[in-house]
This record gives sequence, structure tokens and C-alpha cells, in this order.
Amino acid sequence: MNQPVIVVEGLRKVYGDVVAVAGLDFEVEAGTILGLLGPNGAGKTTTIEILTTLRRADAGRATIAGFDVGRQPELVRRVIGLAGQAAAVDDRLTARENLDLFARLYKLPAPERRARVDELIERFDLGGFADRLVATYSGGQRRRLDVVAALIARPPAIFLDEPTTGLDPRSRLELWREIRAMADEGAAVVLTTQYLEEADRLADDIVIIDRGEVVARGAADELKKDLGRDVLVVHVSDPADLPRAAELAGDGADVATDAGHRMLTVQLGDGPPEALAVLRRLSDAGIPVEDFQLRRPTLDDVFLTHTEVRR
Amino acid sequence: MSAVDLPFEPPSGVRGALIDVWTMARRDLIRTMRQPEYLSFSVVMGVFFLVLFELVFGGVIAAGAGVDYDQYLVPGVLVITAVTGALQTGNTLAVDLQYGADKRFRSLPMSRMAVLAGRTVADTIRNAVAVGLVAAVGYAFGFRFTSAGSAVAALALTVGIGYAFSWINAAIAAKVRSAELVGMLSMFWLFPLMFGSNLFTPTVAMPAWVKAFADNQPISVVATAVRALANGSDPGLSVVGSGAWIVGLLVVFVPLSVRLYRRA
Repeated sequence: MNQPVIVVEGLRKVYGDVVAVAGLDFEVEAGTILGLLGPNGAGKTTTIEILTTLRRADAGRATIAGFDVGRQPELVRRVIGLAGQAAAVDDRLTARENLDLFARLYKLPAPERRARVDELIERFDLGGFADRLVATYSGGQRRRLDVVAALIARPPAIFLDEPTTGLDPRSRLELWREIRAMADEGAAVVLTTQYLEEADRLADDIVIIDRGEVVARGAADELKKDLGRDVLVVHVSDPADLPRAAELAGDGADVATDAGHRMLTVQLGDGPPEALAVLRRLSDAGIPVEDFQLRRPTLDDVFLTHTEVRR
Repeated sequence: MSAVDLPFEPPSGVRGALIDVWTMARRDLIRTMRQPEYLSFSVVMGVFFLVLFELVFGGVIAAGAGVDYDQYLVPGVLVITAVTGALQTGNTLAVDLQYGADKRFRSLPMSRMAVLAGRTVADTIRNAVAVGLVAAVGYAFGFRFTSAGSAVAALALTVGIGYAFSWINAAIAAKVRSAELVGMLSMFWLFPLMFGSNLFTPTVAMPAWVKAFADNQPISVVATAVRALANGSDPGLSVVGSGAWIVGLLVVFVPLSVRLYRRA
């Protein structure tokens, strides 16, 4: 088994009387992506800022490649790459010049610097616009450059803070490929996102946080399995039929009705066979059904179950 | 995980910091060359004051004060060019802080001070060019230095006070973190210094308390020194006073800027 590159133990940060991060623990191994998922204000950015030495934790500790973020920030900065908001790429420089700037600041030796910049441009397919000013880029191109710049010194740990927020679907797909490639090259990646699909597609492990606390963790599939059951959603033609339909559908606890949407929701114990049975009973009782669908649990359900329920 | 072996040992300490300062300054200079309006702003400002005062007020002031107005006005205009050019430091830094560009820099293995120092160095190099251009325009109006040596000394003091003012602007930007606010605040601290001064007219006719301020504040002291150097007259304490102001402002505002910036 791989040794974890990023180790976080009991991390805590308080602003005034607001607990931003309340005792966070996780580990990230080389070559894997951890998705840090949570609503706005959950503590994602604070966590990233502590791990990248921009803020100090009030309690707990974190090490990156063996260096302590609180006590050895200078060494930590040599083994991390941070990207996300795209604010650091310079509009009036080209992609090549931006990458060269970061390479110089990481103090890459001069001969290696140029080779590494060329290699990244080639590897991540930036050649088409590498020598144009960033000011002329699309949002997606800009974001890709921003993320690639984090790789310049081959850091073993990479932090991406909401890298795809506000991107169109195609740019998002391109960026996902790049993020996956980073992990494939051996980096331990921490990715924060509000997009569940993104975590589902990219992350090997997911930590869902809300108000600074871990509310769920695991691989995407495990999280969905834990939440459990498939859901049958039925739209009836006449809302007056709903009470009777609910009665026919099964035990009260697993059935919910919504008269406004003429909708019946049934949590299924036994998946598709039970769905068929419910639909047959409705049909036998002569209740007209307009539409139905069988929904597998999504990460959205996991997320909503663990976050909104607590509010 | 035990600590990894780092692939190479980068230059550290003062040498590493100097590399960072130059890297950041170089980046700003490339940007300036791509967008020369930043340079032209302070040149245009200087030429604007030169033409305005020379043509509009020059006759009256020269007659009233009994001075050769070209020799009087141009040194003041050079100082204005330098101190308004220094406003750029506050603007660009505030924009970076406002939009979080500096966060990335603070996560890099680089000197924290270099983000500020690189910018002030770049702004000062640009300022030297602007002051030189305005001096050339002054030459066309009839302004003269008595010797090349005095010209170099005078321009050095002018650029020096601009450098010190860059750090004042850096401190303000690090504190307020908004380009709009930095611009607005400059009206309140820089304009009184520009007009409560001997830049445009001798201070003899001012009320005593205004005169005391106008004679001794940094912009006037430097302008007086530049005038004396240009005319080959006795500078009195003005050259030493200029050096003292420049050093004094740097001693206060460099550490203050760095502290305010780190607090981010």
C-alpha cells in the first residue's frame, strides 16, 4: 500500500465564534484524488488555505510529503502546487511566460526551466495558444493554464480549489482530463468542488463537509450504496388520487406525496421488482399514471441527506 | 510518510530573495512594455502640469516672484511625475490583493517581500524613464542643468522620492485592498502634498503655518534640491534633507507594507 502524501489530523480553525473547520481528518495517497465536497461556507477553502500555508490552524496538524504545514511552511511550499481561481495567471503575459514565471519562482534550474515549460505545453495541449496573451483566452483556456501552472515543479501534492466553477461543459471535460492526468503522474490531488458530478467522475475518495465537520466519507459508490435504496417517482393525473395511491404503494414511512406536483415518491426496499409491483397495484386500482421514473441514488442524494437535513 | 528528498537545493536567504524580486520586477516590466499607457499616464501628467503652469500661470508667477520660471517649474514637475507615477504601485497591488492573485504567490517557495519589492522596483524603473522623458520636454521649454553630474544627482533624488512613495502606496494598498479606495485616498494625502508645496510657486506669500509645512515636506525639499542642482546654486540642507526624507520614508513604510501584506 502507498504511503499517504497528505496527512490531516484533527485540523481546526475558528474565526471569532464561527467554527470554520471543526476537527478534520483525512489522508491522500500518491496518485489519487480526494474530492472535498460541501456547500458554500462549509470550510473547503479554509482547509485548502491551511494546507497551502496561507493560514495557520488553531489546532490539529497536517503534513505534506512529511513536512509540517504549521512548522515548516517554507519546505511545504516546495512540495505543493495550488490552483483554482485563475486569478494568478497574468493577462498581459503569454501562457509560456506565465509558466516561466512560476518556474523561476520555484527556482527550477535554468536549463530545466525551459524544457519543463515546453513539456507541459506539449503534454497538456496548450500549443495552440501558448504564445498568445492570456487576455485573448477563453475562460476554459485560462483555467487550464492556471491548473497546469501548478504542475511546473512536479510537486507531490496538488490543491485545486474549485477549478471548474463557472466553466462551460466542454471546458470542464477538458479540465477533468488534465486533473486525472495529474494523479496518473503520481501526484496526490485535493480537489474542492460544489459539483457532485465532478467529484463522482474524478475523485477516488470523497469527504463531504458541512459547517467544518465531516458528515460523510468514502468512495463515491460506497456513499451511494450506504444511502441505499432506489426511488420510484410517480406522477398521477389527479391529485385527489394521491392518498389512495400512497396507501397502495406500501408502508407509510417509505412513501411521500406532493399534491402540488401530483407526485408520489416511494423508497424501494427491493429495487425494480418492487417498482413493478407498485405500478401494477396502481393500475389495478384504476389510478391513471401520467409518468414514472426509477431513480438510482445519486451523489446529490448523499449530499442533500447529509447536509440539508441538518439545517 | 517520512519527508521526501527534495530534488534540488534552491538559492535561499538574501540571494533567493533577490532572484524573486528581479523575477517579479521583470514580469511587471514586460507588462508595462505591452501596455505603455501606464508609462504614458505619468508622462502626460507631468507634461500637462508643465504646459498648464508655464503658459497659464507662468507670466504672473514669474513677475510676482521674480524668478526664471522654467528653472523654477521644471524641477517641481519632475517631482510630480515621480510621485504620481508611484501611485501605480498601489493600484496594481490592490488589484492583485482584491482578486486573490497574491494567494498563489504566497503558496510558492518565494520571498513574501518580493511581491511588494518586485513591484516597487519595476515601478521605479518605469518612473525613471518617465522622469527622463518629462525632463526632455522641459529642455524644449528652455530648462537647463548646469552640468551632467548635477543632472544625474537631481534625477536620482527625483526617482528616489518616487521609490519611497511607491512604498507608501504599497502600504495603503496592503491595508485597504481595493483599487478604487487606493485611488480615492490618494486625493486626500497626495494632493495636499502636491499643492501645499513650493512646486509651482515660492512659498513666501503663504500663511506662516502653511509655509512651515510647504517648506519642509518631502516633495518640496526634493524640488528645492533639484532646483539648486540644476542652477548650480547653494542647495543648503535640501540635498541632505531629500536623502533623509527618502531613507526615513523607506525605514517606516517598507516594514509597514510587509507587515500589512503578511496579515492578509
